[in-house]
Amino acid sequence: MDDRRVNWACRVLAGLVMVFLLAPLVVIVIASFTPTALITFPPKGFSLKWYANIFHASTHFINGLVNSLKLGLIATGVDVFLGVFAALAVCRYDFKGKNALLNYFTSPMYVPSVAFAFVLLQVYSQIGGIPGMARLLIGHLVIILPYIVRNTVSVLHVFDWTLEDAATSLGAAPAQVFFKITLPLAKPGVLAGALLAFLYSFDEVALSSLLSTPKFVTLPIRIMNYMELTFDPTLAAISTLLILASLVLIVLMEKLVGLDMFVK
Amino acid sequence: MATLELKGLVKRFGDFTAVDGMDLQVAQGEMIALLGGSGCGKTTTLRMIAGFTEPTGGTILVDGEDVGKIPPYKRNIGIFFQNYALFPHMTVFENVAFGLKLQKCSKEETARRVGEILSLVKLTGLDGRYPRELSGGQQQRVALARALVTRPSILLLDEPLSNLDAKLRVEMQVEIKRIQRELGITTIIVTHDHEEAVSLADRVIVMNQGRIQQIGTPQEIFDHPASPFVADFMGFSTFLHGKAGGAPRGGKRPILCGEKTLWVAQEEAEDLDEGESCLLALRSESMTLVEARWENAFPGRIESMTYKGHTTRLEVSGCFDEPVFPALGEIPGSGVGDEVLVHFPYRKICVYKA
Repeated sequence: MDDRRVNWACRVLAGLVMVFLLAPLVVIVIASFTPTALITFPPKGFSLKWYANIFHASTHFINGLVNSLKLGLIATGVDVFLGVFAALAVCRYDFKGKNALLNYFTSPMYVPSVAFAFVLLQVYSQIGGIPGMARLLIGHLVIILPYIVRNTVSVLHVFDWTLEDAATSLGAAPAQVFFKITLPLAKPGVLAGALLAFLYSFDEVALSSLLSTPKFVTLPIRIMNYMELTFDPTLAAISTLLILASLVLIVLMEKLVGLDMFVK
Repeated sequence: MATLELKGLVKRFGDFTAVDGMDLQVAQGEMIALLGGSGCGKTTTLRMIAGFTEPTGGTILVDGEDVGKIPPYKRNIGIFFQNYALFPHMTVFENVAFGLKLQKCSKEETARRVGEILSLVKLTGLDGRYPRELSGGQQQRVALARALVTRPSILLLDEPLSNLDAKLRVEMQVEIKRIQRELGITTIIVTHDHEEAVSLADRVIVMNQGRIQQIGTPQEIFDHPASPFVADFMGFSTFLHGKAGGAPRGGKRPILCGEKTLWVAQEEAEDLDEGESCLLALRSESMTLVEARWENAFPGRIESMTYKGHTTRLEVSGCFDEPVFPALGEIPGSGVGDEVLVHFPYRKICVYKA
């Protein structure tokens, strides 16, 4: 077949995929500015009232947002610590079963989170009296760890370990080698993993909906609950803000480490 | 500046013995080359001196003191790594200053010493560059500067020239030797290239299978290898099997190779009994083509010719049962298939018991 025709067909296909990916987002963003009580497209007029409604609705979206941020940040922070050392141990040392161990660290990725949540629920009800935040945190710690381990391993996998020897020969003690050489060079992988892990925790519904208590509810659960009762453009407004926040995060990461880290 | 001594150094990995009872004394300011093929134990020896690998047995003494219990970051040994191991996230200045900062040198002192060492390796003005912005030769000199700036007691060089092209290699040989002399630092260089070892070191140590095969000056090792293995490693090309002949005459001893008699220097063959089998070794450059039938000149047929730039290497059969490989400075008039007379100078023949 003619090369040019293939090229042309590829472009059309790529264009269609882009439209398919972006169109719903564009619709939601535009629809969030509608003054009507139902989501309509194209919107009839312009209003910010649904954005104001985020703060005034009977559902406490802001409380949910704060909970989600707290949960995501703490879980990510703890897991960066655990995940980086797990990745280091697996990559630096040669020992029997190191691949098995790596698969073990990343296994929560393959276990359905509903099944995992169900098991946790059983455990919690046996023990009893575990506060809402801890119930979710324990679950999130487990399910987001794989993202940090995997991304850190992908950097350390090609790491030149003689750099550590070089630093050691110049008088750096093990801790100094880690903080001055290994960690700075592994940073792109660690940051990429941390971002993905945080976004996953922030977005997580299945596990959170099973484990959360009325006292500690995350934003996605709030949104779900609201959706069950009312279906007005407030949800479009929230979605628009979340899309914006994601964009800001991605741009920030691009500035910090470069996006090529994510497509590996 | 220090002396180094290895006493019965042994390293085993499971069933494999990488270094098998190594004894060595290195004087202050001396430059030693550990020469051998891959897996001969030279790099393991280097890593044990640096402290990265723990010996299975034996001791390492620096200035007469056992350093076995001293962790690698306190040994004050400068290392030049084969792949340079420059820190990619640091500039040239930061790379070189790394060790000084750990020693808590003041800012002014650090800047002064980095400046000094960079001018010694001729890199002044490149302090702000990152390693990836430098050529291979420049990266190498940064690595050398970084290893030297902390004034280590011993400098270890791991295959320092293997990644460079031929021209740069010669330049760096001169450079490394100059800097080593200027600083008078005790140096051990690990290499698999006999020319590199011979041109850099005061003494060369040939290793094989974890054992020292020969210790000597470059001249000794180059001209009188202690064993056929060392001869082969040092680039001897022609090996002939023979049997020792009768009494020496005029400082020469006859060796019977098949029906022919080859004369060798008497002192080379002194410990051979009459009729004892032996192995003779010659360098390609020692043999020449001659016109008349001198002593030690034998006729043969050219089987192949390989042009190598400054020499032409021949394969000649018929002189003896085994082929010989003379290398000639000029292209001979004769070609493949022609009969020639090959001369074997008796002083250049090494003799081993076989």
